[in-house]
Amino acid sequence: MNAYIAGVGESPLGKTPNLNSIDLQRAAALSALDDAGLTLADVDGLLTTPIRVEKWAMPVGMVARGLGIRPGYMATLDVAGASGTAMVHNAAMAVATGQAEVVLCVAGQNQLTNVSRDATVAQIANVGWAHPEYEAPYGPLIPTLYALVAQRHMHEYGTTAEQMAEVAVAIRGHAVLNPLAQMKTPITIQDVLASKMITSPLHMLDCAIVSDGAAAFVVSSRKGRKRPVKLLGQGYGFTHAYIGEHDNIATTGAVQSGRRAFKMAGVKPADIDIAELYDCFTITVIAELEDLGFCPKGEGGRFVEGGRIRLGGELPVATHGGLLSAVHPGLAGGMFHVVEAVRQLRGECGARQVKDAELVLAHGNGGIIGIHCTLILGQG
Amino acid sequence: MLPPRPTDRFMLPRCEDCGKFHFYPRPVCPHCQGAKLAWGEASGKGAVYSHSTVHRAPSPEFREGVPYVIAIVKTDEGPHLLSRVVGVSPEKVSIGMRLQVRLSVDGKPEFEPEV
Repeated sequence: MNAYIAGVGESPLGKTPNLNSIDLQRAAALSALDDAGLTLADVDGLLTTPIRVEKWAMPVGMVARGLGIRPGYMATLDVAGASGTAMVHNAAMAVATGQAEVVLCVAGQNQLTNVSRDATVAQIANVGWAHPEYEAPYGPLIPTLYALVAQRHMHEYGTTAEQMAEVAVAIRGHAVLNPLAQMKTPITIQDVLASKMITSPLHMLDCAIVSDGAAAFVVSSRKGRKRPVKLLGQGYGFTHAYIGEHDNIATTGAVQSGRRAFKMAGVKPADIDIAELYDCFTITVIAELEDLGFCPKGEGGRFVEGGRIRLGGELPVATHGGLLSAVHPGLAGGMFHVVEAVRQLRGECGARQVKDAELVLAHGNGGIIGIHCTLILGQG
Repeated sequence: MLPPRPTDRFMLPRCEDCGKFHFYPRPVCPHCQGAKLAWGEASGKGAVYSHSTVHRAPSPEFREGVPYVIAIVKTDEGPHLLSRVVGVSPEKVSIGMRLQVRLSVDGKPEFEPEV
């Protein structure tokens, strides 16, 4: 049995002080269902992720309650930042095995207005991404743990601050063309390098934003009313729980997730038209480009130069504006890469549409480069 | 499971089956999955594997120490660990710099340039 992504949608994004997490998730869910030509009454499967702003003992139960539905298949999925891409795969498995016919995947929260940016920074430094006993007491920010990756990558391969800045500039350029994006002012490489140094070598503009927002998609055996999109391949990769336990921090678990996804889809990196890569930091994108096989290991910095990952380039990356510039409300952040992949494959992206996009890779990265889920999506 | 980390000297978990060190402590040896683990004496020497100077503290308790250097140290025994590099100005820290351990007042290992 085939499973299609039949509908995608999102809530209002950015700063939405009057909407709580359920309001946001409900808005996203209704938007995705409408996109698919379905209603809540059709939903018999539900997937969500944990969120931080609510004290929810069972997130999927609370979301079902908030939507007023009683699904026959349900789960709270958590593979950290890879949850957005992994939801598609898990929903497709539920459909393929006959557990459900219409699986609603929805997640999000009011991370920015409920918690504030400063409180988010403090909160995420203390929830276990850094080892609570052996790392957190030294005072790393989450960005510090990625800065260690960046510094080592620069040392091993000669990657430069300018090349990392180009990732932020390219992705901001895409956000400028996305009416829903939070950050819509164009930036230059000089702007990135002149932005505040947070944790060397990462500047403020090398880091993701903090947002309110929710995303949703509908995975179903039904094709929906728009051009259907199909999951052609997926793979996971896990290397470590803590960055201090990873022997080779310039390389990520995207090596394994990518290899598995490409093998299953029977395609190669050169066949991919768009890479919706997880862009929590600029260095993440450079490492993923290498580890997924779009360029040789160590060449990611040079690969992003010359507009190659910008719209109009050889491999546009994060065409909606990504976590760096469009929206990042926590674990749901990676869902927006899937939403964008579907819209690109349908040809709905207006000013940021990649012409004749037929194969799109969407990639999620979780923890400190330790857990990955790669999807390859095509027309159904 | 291992007893708590000794705070009077620098030790690393070592597997009594294969003899290899690892860090951080885990339920089983990551090299051979052996479960007989004990704290073993380590040299306290190593080198900077990667580093970052933190300019913006994660929370108020770290604010007065800014800027400070967080590093991944590759110990001479092999395992990596996250720590602080102290006793040197941040801009002088570089990958490969030789380090030796120095225990903080609460027994937490920090590293300073090797004498």
